[in-house]
Amino acid sequence: MNNNNTVKEIDSNSGMNHSARMRSLLNIFLKEVGIGIVLIVLVIAFSLGAPRFFTLINVGNIFTQISINTVIAVGMTFVILLGGIDLSVGSVLALCSIVAGKILINPSLPFGLAILLAVLLSVGCGMIIGFLNGIICETWKIHSFIVTLGMLNIARGMALQISHSKTIFNFPKVFNQIGTTTYLGVFPAIFIIAMMLVILGSVILRKTVFGRMIFAIGNNEESVRLSGHNVKFYKIMAYTICGGAVGIATIMYMMRMSIASPILGVGFELNAIAAVVIGGTSMSGGKGSLVGTFLGASIMGVLNNGLLLIGMGDFARQIITGVIIILAVVLDTYRTKFSAALNS
Amino acid sequence: MKRRLLALVLGMVVLLPSITFANGAQEEGDDKPVVGLIMKSLANEFFMAMDEGARAYAEEDGSFKLITMGMNSETDFDTQVNAVDSLITQGVDLIVLAPADSAGMVAPVKRAIDAGVTVINFDVTLDKGALKAAGLPEEFLFVGPDNTDGAEMVGNYLGEAIGEGGKVIIIEGNPGADNAKQRKNGFMKSIETHGMELLASNTAHWEAEEANTLMTNLLTKHPDVQGVMCANDSMALGVVRALEAAGRGDVQVVGFDNIPAVKDLILNDKMLATVHMDGTEMAILAFNAGFEIIDGSRENLGWVQSPLILADKDFFK
Repeated sequence: MNNNNTVKEIDSNSGMNHSARMRSLLNIFLKEVGIGIVLIVLVIAFSLGAPRFFTLINVGNIFTQISINTVIAVGMTFVILLGGIDLSVGSVLALCSIVAGKILINPSLPFGLAILLAVLLSVGCGMIIGFLNGIICETWKIHSFIVTLGMLNIARGMALQISHSKTIFNFPKVFNQIGTTTYLGVFPAIFIIAMMLVILGSVILRKTVFGRMIFAIGNNEESVRLSGHNVKFYKIMAYTICGGAVGIATIMYMMRMSIASPILGVGFELNAIAAVVIGGTSMSGGKGSLVGTFLGASIMGVLNNGLLLIGMGDFARQIITGVIIILAVVLDTYRTKFSAALNS
Repeated sequence: MKRRLLALVLGMVVLLPSITFANGAQEEGDDKPVVGLIMKSLANEFFMAMDEGARAYAEEDGSFKLITMGMNSETDFDTQVNAVDSLITQGVDLIVLAPADSAGMVAPVKRAIDAGVTVINFDVTLDKGALKAAGLPEEFLFVGPDNTDGAEMVGNYLGEAIGEGGKVIIIEGNPGADNAKQRKNGFMKSIETHGMELLASNTAHWEAEEANTLMTNLLTKHPDVQGVMCANDSMALGVVRALEAAGRGDVQVVGFDNIPAVKDLILNDKMLATVHMDGTEMAILAFNAGFEIIDGSRENLGWVQSPLILADKDFFK
């Protein structure tokens, strides 16, 4: 936020000198692209190490594989920017999939209507649970860690109860065709949806009062409250947005896998949190970006794909992924220090 | 039902990630033997079907009372230990147990036996070393399938379909799980028998989406693959979707378990075959073995094999 303010101030200063311009450029570069350097290094390394890595088909595959995590991580970014966390996203994904799946296989509905209803119900179900998460946290001032941990159990239990532990399958063909459509040979439909959400989210965070309030609350909640704003509203909205994003991710998952199951999504919350944090969003809130989150999700997807293509074993892959998550965040602390030094 | 609800609510209140479900009740003043069936995760369709099947069987049979208990996760062995202890306290006559941890469950089994309860180990074998260390026989009676045999059977079926020297990939279950290891061993045997070439063997942790991603990436690395052997059907579902998305209808897939979702895939030639395992039948075999031990007609040693059937297109017709 500090950096961001500085950049804005310098930008609006028409009489800014050359070195200030250079500084602001470097600042933007460090802020938004910093983690991109890690991604570029990985892509180059894998391209050299695995001949089939940098091909249209494989890049398209990676796009598909990061889409779901990207969408969940976009929602998670809103919550983490407020200094909160949402551990329930994986279970909510399972619950939304059961709700949407039951509608999709309902034989009395024409498939067009069934698909529309499934999308609306999935997003609606996610938003309701997000709203509940937010309102419980805010009404009783409980940390979101414990509220969403509770919701993790509630949503999973409900998914199991409603579905009777049974996988739902046999969705309309059109539905699955969307999930496997690829444009221009490299852009899968679900990736395009994910990108649109990243852009939409970025506009909301950067260009609207709502977005600025999210950053402001993450930086200093008390001063926002004292200046007369309804902090509770913004916080509940952030959780609701997160839930809605999970609802969209659910539809993407179902399009891709053509199943709905009460046991899917286990551990998705950790992947989403990792993407957000690798992307430079601070766990204590107030600092971060959705472009960073997208880059974070990309790094995880590229690692998973690239390490396999260069022939790394399962266990080594897990270890290296862990090491790179930590390294990326360690590097980020240097970037922050460097950019702070640059501004002083 | 009330019990189940109570357990659910209690579990949520203390925020345990694992909730025990207990079904069935025990009435006083009745001399019918009481059997406790402890399963693994009821989130797994296999155990859910077993739970329903076993309760229907107990009701129809009427000669014994059944209490069924399931966990909320496959690896939740703490809750399973508690389940055994609570059944001992309730004074059941027979405990039929699918261990969530082969070594870890030996100690509670020993406690039950010391308390005079007959214990039948089914589905997954207890660890031989741990049995010996606890002073129990290494050949403690086991009721369950031969996973190695089943995997070899379906692997051979794949081998015949793609022919001598066919190139295959194995999608493994959870590293460390006994049945995952056994199924991989079975696949390896069939690969040897049919002179197939193993291109890669990786884990997707039993999960459909992970298997989908893994298969997509393996296709990039090994486009010449002809067959895929999956250690369970959930992963086979993910693999079939990956092959569809890549337009590779030529690659043959086999799985294990026969979950309902694979029936259509096999009938529509998207999947070659799976291995059918009947959970209810396995539980009934375990009950009967237990009653035989109680009335002295069987020793608590050896292996009662529950049948595995190759489920190909003809099986479903």
